Amino acid sequence: MSDTAFGFLLIGVAMLVVLGVIFAVASRGSRGEVAPVHPPRGVHLPPPSFLPVVMSVGGVLLGAGLAFRGDGEVANPFLAVPGLIVLVLGIFAWVRAANHEWRETEHGPHDDGAAH
Amino acid sequence: MTTHAEATAREEGKFTPQDHQSGMPTALVGMLLFIASEVMFFGGLFATYFNARATTSGAWGPPEGAHELDIALAGVLTAILVASSFTMQFGVWAIRRGDTGKLKLWTAITLGLGVLFLAGQLYDYSQLGFGVGDGVFGTVFYTLTGFHGAHVFGGAVGLTIVLARAMRGQFSARNHVAVEAVSMYWHFVDVVWIAVFSTIYLLG
Repeated sequence: MSDTAFGFLLIGVAMLVVLGVIFAVASRGSRGEVAPVHPPRGVHLPPPSFLPVVMSVGGVLLGAGLAFRGDGEVANPFLAVPGLIVLVLGIFAWVRAANHEWRETEHGPHDDGAAH
Repeated sequence: MTTHAEATAREEGKFTPQDHQSGMPTALVGMLLFIASEVMFFGGLFATYFNARATTSGAWGPPEGAHELDIALAGVLTAILVASSFTMQFGVWAIRRGDTGKLKLWTAITLGLGVLFLAGQLYDYSQLGFGVGDGVFGTVFYTLTGFHGAHVFGGAVGLTIVLARAMRGQFSARNHVAVEAVSMYWHFVDVVWIAVFSTIYLLG
Protein backbone atom coordinates (compact mmCIF):
# COMPACT_ATOMS: atom_id res chain seq x y z
CA MET A 1 0.00 0.00 0.00
CA SER A 2 1.37 3.39 -0.97
CA ASP A 3 1.85 6.16 1.56
CA THR A 4 -0.93 8.17 -0.09
CA ALA A 5 -3.42 5.32 0.15
CA PHE A 6 -2.42 4.71 3.76
CA GLY A 7 -2.98 8.39 4.53
CA PHE A 8 -6.47 8.34 3.03
CA LEU A 9 -7.19 5.10 4.91
CA LEU A 10 -6.22 6.87 8.14
CA ILE A 11 -8.57 9.75 7.30
CA GLY A 12 -11.40 7.28 6.67
CA VAL A 13 -10.79 5.44 9.94
CA ALA A 14 -10.62 8.76 11.82
CA MET A 15 -13.99 9.77 10.32
CA LEU A 16 -15.56 6.51 11.51
CA VAL A 17 -14.09 6.98 14.99
CA VAL A 18 -15.50 10.52 15.18
CA LEU A 19 -18.93 9.31 14.07
CA GLY A 20 -18.78 6.55 16.68
CA VAL A 21 -17.90 9.00 19.45
CA ILE A 22 -20.72 11.33 18.37
CA PHE A 23 -23.16 8.42 18.35
CA ALA A 24 -22.06 7.40 21.83
CA VAL A 25 -22.41 10.94 23.18
CA ALA A 26 -25.78 11.55 21.51
CA SER A 27 -27.06 8.22 22.84
CA ARG A 28 -26.59 9.45 26.41
CA GLY A 29 -29.59 11.78 26.04
CA SER A 30 -32.79 11.22 27.94
CA ARG A 31 -35.11 8.48 26.82
CA GLY A 32 -38.51 9.43 25.46
CA GLU A 33 -39.81 12.46 23.66
CA VAL A 34 -38.25 15.79 24.46
CA ALA A 35 -40.90 18.47 24.72
CA PRO A 36 -40.43 21.32 22.27
CA VAL A 37 -39.17 24.50 23.86
CA HIS A 38 -41.85 27.17 24.20
CA PRO A 39 -41.39 30.60 25.69
CA PRO A 40 -42.74 30.78 29.24
CA ARG A 41 -45.86 32.77 30.08
CA GLY A 42 -45.34 36.48 30.07
CA VAL A 43 -42.67 36.38 27.39
CA HIS A 44 -43.70 38.08 24.18
CA LEU A 45 -41.85 38.25 20.91
CA PRO A 46 -42.01 41.50 18.97
CA PRO A 47 -44.23 41.39 15.88
CA PRO A 48 -42.75 41.63 12.37
CA SER A 49 -41.78 45.15 11.39
CA PHE A 50 -40.54 47.05 8.35
CA LEU A 51 -38.84 49.65 10.54
CA PRO A 52 -35.39 47.98 10.61
CA VAL A 53 -35.36 48.02 6.80
CA VAL A 54 -36.57 51.65 6.67
CA MET A 55 -33.89 52.71 9.14
CA SER A 56 -31.12 50.88 7.34
CA VAL A 57 -32.13 52.57 4.06
CA GLY A 58 -31.91 55.89 5.88
CA GLY A 59 -28.54 54.92 7.33
CA VAL A 60 -27.18 53.91 3.93
CA LEU A 61 -28.33 57.22 2.39
CA LEU A 62 -26.75 59.18 5.21
CA GLY A 63 -23.51 57.20 4.97
CA ALA A 64 -23.40 57.59 1.21
CA GLY A 65 -23.98 61.32 1.64
CA LEU A 66 -20.99 61.53 3.98
CA ALA A 67 -18.81 59.46 1.66
CA PHE A 68 -19.62 60.85 -1.78
CA ARG A 69 -19.27 64.57 -1.23
CA GLY A 70 -17.80 67.36 -3.29
CA ASP A 71 -14.55 69.14 -2.34
CA GLY A 72 -15.02 71.36 0.70
CA GLU A 73 -18.49 70.00 1.51
CA VAL A 74 -19.26 68.24 4.77
CA ALA A 75 -21.72 65.93 3.06
CA ASN A 76 -23.66 65.58 -0.15
CA PRO A 77 -26.96 67.26 0.77
CA PHE A 78 -29.03 65.35 -1.81
CA LEU A 79 -28.14 62.06 -0.11
CA ALA A 80 -27.43 63.01 3.51
CA VAL A 81 -30.53 65.15 4.20
CA PRO A 82 -33.13 62.58 3.04
CA GLY A 83 -31.09 59.92 4.80
CA LEU A 84 -31.08 61.83 8.07
CA ILE A 85 -34.83 62.51 7.83
CA VAL A 86 -35.64 58.85 7.14
CA LEU A 87 -33.33 57.72 9.96
CA VAL A 88 -34.79 60.10 12.55
CA LEU A 89 -38.38 59.33 11.52
CA GLY A 90 -37.53 55.64 11.72
CA ILE A 91 -36.25 56.02 15.27
CA PHE A 92 -39.39 57.90 16.33
CA ALA A 93 -41.66 55.33 14.67
CA TRP A 94 -39.78 52.48 16.32
CA VAL A 95 -39.97 54.02 19.79
CA ARG A 96 -43.69 54.63 19.21
CA ALA A 97 -44.20 51.04 18.08
CA ALA A 98 -42.29 49.76 21.10
CA ASN A 99 -44.42 51.83 23.48
CA HIS A 100 -47.58 50.63 21.78
CA GLU A 101 -46.37 47.04 21.97
CA TRP A 102 -45.51 47.42 25.65
CA ARG A 103 -48.99 48.71 26.46
CA GLU A 104 -50.60 45.90 24.50
CA THR A 105 -48.40 43.30 26.16
CA GLU A 106 -49.10 44.59 29.63
CA HIS A 107 -52.77 45.41 29.38
CA GLY A 108 -54.08 43.74 26.25
CA PRO A 109 -56.04 40.49 26.14
CA HIS A 110 -54.17 37.24 26.58
CA ASP A 111 -54.96 33.84 25.18
CA ASP A 112 -54.47 32.18 28.55
CA GLY A 113 -56.67 34.78 30.22
CA ALA A 114 -54.12 35.52 32.93
CA ALA A 115 -53.18 39.07 33.76
CA HIS A 116 -49.47 39.73 33.86
CA MET B 1 -57.76 28.64 19.35
CA THR B 2 -57.71 25.05 18.20
CA THR B 3 -60.46 23.55 16.16
CA HIS B 4 -61.97 20.22 17.08
CA ALA B 5 -60.13 18.43 14.28
CA GLU B 6 -56.83 19.91 15.39
CA ALA B 7 -57.44 18.97 19.01
CA THR B 8 -58.21 15.39 17.97
CA ALA B 9 -55.10 15.23 15.81
CA ARG B 10 -53.09 16.62 18.70
CA GLU B 11 -54.32 13.93 21.04
CA GLU B 12 -53.36 11.33 18.47
CA GLY B 13 -49.88 12.81 18.36
CA LYS B 14 -50.18 14.00 14.77
CA PHE B 15 -48.57 17.11 13.37
CA THR B 16 -51.06 19.97 13.44
CA PRO B 17 -51.03 23.46 11.98
CA GLN B 18 -50.93 24.69 15.56
CA ASP B 19 -47.43 23.30 15.89
CA HIS B 20 -46.34 25.50 13.02
CA GLN B 21 -47.09 28.80 14.63
CA SER B 22 -46.47 31.62 12.18
CA GLY B 23 -45.15 29.30 9.50
CA MET B 24 -41.78 27.67 10.00
CA PRO B 25 -39.96 26.55 13.14
CA THR B 26 -37.02 28.77 13.99
CA ALA B 27 -34.58 25.89 13.67
CA LEU B 28 -35.61 25.34 10.05
CA VAL B 29 -35.29 29.05 9.26
CA GLY B 30 -31.80 28.91 10.75
CA MET B 31 -30.92 25.89 8.64
CA LEU B 32 -32.23 27.62 5.51
CA LEU B 33 -30.12 30.69 6.25
CA PHE B 34 -27.10 28.47 6.87
CA ILE B 35 -27.71 26.67 3.57
CA ALA B 36 -28.02 30.05 1.83
CA SER B 37 -24.57 30.99 3.14
CA GLU B 38 -23.25 27.60 2.03
CA VAL B 39 -24.60 28.24 -1.47
CA MET B 40 -22.52 31.43 -1.51
CA PHE B 41 -19.48 29.50 -0.28
CA PHE B 42 -19.74 26.88 -3.01
CA GLY B 43 -20.53 29.63 -5.51
CA GLY B 44 -17.12 31.05 -4.73
CA LEU B 45 -15.45 27.67 -5.17
CA PHE B 46 -17.17 27.10 -8.53
CA ALA B 47 -16.17 30.60 -9.62
CA THR B 48 -12.58 29.70 -8.74
CA TYR B 49 -12.81 26.51 -10.77
CA PHE B 50 -14.21 28.20 -13.86
CA ASN B 51 -11.81 31.10 -13.60
CA ALA B 52 -8.82 28.75 -13.34
CA ARG B 53 -10.13 26.68 -16.25
CA ALA B 54 -10.64 29.75 -18.42
CA THR B 55 -7.27 31.31 -17.73
CA THR B 56 -5.10 28.16 -17.88
CA SER B 57 -3.29 27.82 -21.16
CA GLY B 58 -2.88 24.34 -22.63
CA ALA B 59 -4.84 21.21 -21.78
CA TRP B 60 -7.17 21.27 -18.77
CA GLY B 61 -7.16 18.16 -16.63
CA PRO B 62 -4.99 15.99 -14.42
CA PRO B 63 -1.25 16.67 -14.72
CA GLU B 64 0.99 14.79 -17.17
CA GLY B 65 1.60 11.20 -16.12
CA ALA B 66 -1.42 10.97 -13.81
CA HIS B 67 -4.47 8.84 -14.50
CA GLU B 68 -7.56 10.27 -16.11
CA LEU B 69 -10.44 10.97 -13.73
CA ASP B 70 -12.45 7.83 -12.98
CA ILE B 71 -15.86 8.88 -14.29
CA ALA B 72 -17.36 5.43 -13.72
CA LEU B 73 -16.46 5.43 -10.02
CA ALA B 74 -17.68 9.01 -9.63
CA GLY B 75 -20.90 8.01 -11.40
CA VAL B 76 -21.45 5.20 -8.90
CA LEU B 77 -20.79 7.62 -6.03
CA THR B 78 -23.32 10.05 -7.56
CA ALA B 79 -25.91 7.27 -7.69
CA ILE B 80 -25.17 6.42 -4.04
CA LEU B 81 -25.61 10.01 -2.89
CA VAL B 82 -28.78 10.60 -4.91
CA ALA B 83 -30.22 7.35 -3.53
CA SER B 84 -29.35 8.52 0.00
CA SER B 85 -31.40 11.68 -0.57
CA PHE B 86 -34.40 9.47 -1.32
CA THR B 87 -33.86 7.27 1.74
CA MET B 88 -33.52 10.42 3.88
CA GLN B 89 -36.85 11.72 2.58
CA PHE B 90 -38.51 8.36 3.26
CA GLY B 91 -37.33 8.75 6.86
CA VAL B 92 -38.81 12.26 7.08
CA TRP B 93 -42.12 11.09 5.68
CA ALA B 94 -42.10 8.18 8.16
CA ILE B 95 -41.66 10.40 11.21
CA ARG B 96 -44.31 12.82 9.89
CA ARG B 97 -46.66 9.85 10.11
CA GLY B 98 -45.26 9.05 13.56
CA ASP B 99 -43.50 5.87 12.40
CA THR B 100 -40.34 5.88 14.53
CA GLY B 101 -39.28 2.40 13.45
CA LYS B 102 -39.13 3.40 9.78
CA LEU B 103 -37.32 6.61 10.73
CA LYS B 104 -34.56 4.59 12.41
CA LEU B 105 -34.32 2.22 9.45
CA TRP B 106 -34.17 4.93 6.75
CA THR B 107 -31.80 7.13 8.76
CA ALA B 108 -29.44 4.19 9.29
CA ILE B 109 -29.54 3.38 5.56
CA THR B 110 -28.91 7.04 4.67
CA LEU B 111 -25.97 7.19 7.07
CA GLY B 112 -24.59 3.98 5.60
CA LEU B 113 -24.85 5.35 2.07
CA GLY B 114 -23.15 8.58 3.17
CA VAL B 115 -20.26 6.66 4.75
CA LEU B 116 -20.06 4.55 1.58
CA PHE B 117 -19.79 7.73 -0.48
CA LEU B 118 -16.98 9.04 1.73
CA ALA B 119 -15.13 5.72 1.51
CA GLY B 120 -15.52 5.74 -2.26
CA GLN B 121 -14.23 9.29 -2.50
CA LEU B 122 -11.19 8.51 -0.35
CA TYR B 123 -10.52 5.44 -2.53
CA ASP B 124 -10.84 7.67 -5.62
CA TYR B 125 -8.34 10.12 -4.13
CA SER B 126 -5.85 7.33 -3.40
CA GLN B 127 -6.01 6.13 -7.03
CA LEU B 128 -5.73 9.51 -8.77
CA GLY B 129 -1.96 9.76 -8.75
CA PHE B 130 -1.83 13.53 -8.41
CA GLY B 131 -1.98 15.70 -5.34
CA VAL B 132 -3.36 19.05 -4.27
CA GLY B 133 -0.06 20.72 -5.18
CA ASP B 134 0.13 19.34 -8.73
CA GLY B 135 -0.86 22.23 -10.91
CA VAL B 136 -3.92 24.46 -10.96
CA PHE B 137 -6.19 21.54 -11.77
CA GLY B 138 -4.97 19.54 -8.79
CA THR B 139 -5.60 22.48 -6.48
CA VAL B 140 -9.12 23.31 -7.63
CA PHE B 141 -10.06 19.63 -7.95
CA TYR B 142 -9.12 18.78 -4.38
CA THR B 143 -10.50 22.05 -3.01
CA LEU B 144 -13.91 21.59 -4.60
CA THR B 145 -14.34 17.85 -4.04
CA GLY B 146 -12.60 18.00 -0.65
CA PHE B 147 -14.86 20.73 0.70
CA HIS B 148 -17.86 18.83 -0.61
CA GLY B 149 -16.58 15.68 1.10
CA ALA B 150 -16.20 17.63 4.35
CA HIS B 151 -19.83 18.69 3.99
CA VAL B 152 -20.90 15.09 3.46
CA PHE B 153 -19.03 14.25 6.65
CA GLY B 154 -20.85 17.10 8.40
CA GLY B 155 -24.14 15.66 7.15
CA ALA B 156 -23.06 12.23 8.42
CA VAL B 157 -22.46 13.77 11.85
CA GLY B 158 -25.99 15.19 11.77
CA LEU B 159 -27.41 11.84 10.67
CA THR B 160 -25.53 10.08 13.46
CA ILE B 161 -27.08 12.43 16.01
CA VAL B 162 -30.55 11.95 14.48
CA LEU B 163 -30.09 8.18 14.55
CA ALA B 164 -28.91 8.17 18.17
CA ARG B 165 -31.79 10.43 19.24
CA ALA B 166 -34.30 8.36 17.26
CA MET B 167 -33.07 5.25 19.06
CA ARG B 168 -33.74 7.03 22.36
CA GLY B 169 -37.28 7.68 21.13
CA GLN B 170 -36.92 11.44 21.19
CA PHE B 171 -38.83 12.10 17.97
CA SER B 172 -42.54 12.01 17.27
CA ALA B 173 -44.89 13.17 14.54
CA ARG B 174 -45.28 16.48 16.36
CA ASN B 175 -41.70 16.97 17.44
CA HIS B 176 -38.96 16.18 14.94
CA VAL B 177 -37.55 19.48 13.76
CA ALA B 178 -33.99 18.09 13.92
CA VAL B 179 -34.90 15.40 11.39
CA GLU B 180 -36.33 18.02 9.03
CA ALA B 181 -33.27 20.25 9.42
CA VAL B 182 -30.75 17.46 8.81
CA SER B 183 -32.72 16.24 5.80
CA MET B 184 -32.66 19.76 4.31
CA TYR B 185 -28.91 19.87 4.74
CA TRP B 186 -28.50 16.40 3.28
CA HIS B 187 -30.51 17.32 0.17
CA PHE B 188 -28.39 20.44 -0.22
CA VAL B 189 -25.17 18.41 -0.04
CA ASP B 190 -26.60 16.05 -2.64
CA VAL B 191 -27.47 18.88 -5.02
CA VAL B 192 -23.99 20.36 -4.62
CA TRP B 193 -22.44 17.01 -5.50
CA ILE B 194 -24.53 16.82 -8.68
CA ALA B 195 -23.12 20.24 -9.61
CA VAL B 196 -19.56 19.17 -8.71
CA PHE B 197 -19.87 15.92 -10.66
CA SER B 198 -21.32 17.66 -13.70
CA THR B 199 -18.68 20.38 -13.64
CA ILE B 200 -15.51 18.43 -12.92
CA TYR B 201 -16.23 14.98 -14.33
CA LEU B 202 -18.72 15.51 -17.15
CA LEU B 203 -17.83 19.00 -18.38
CA GLY B 204 -14.12 18.36 -17.74
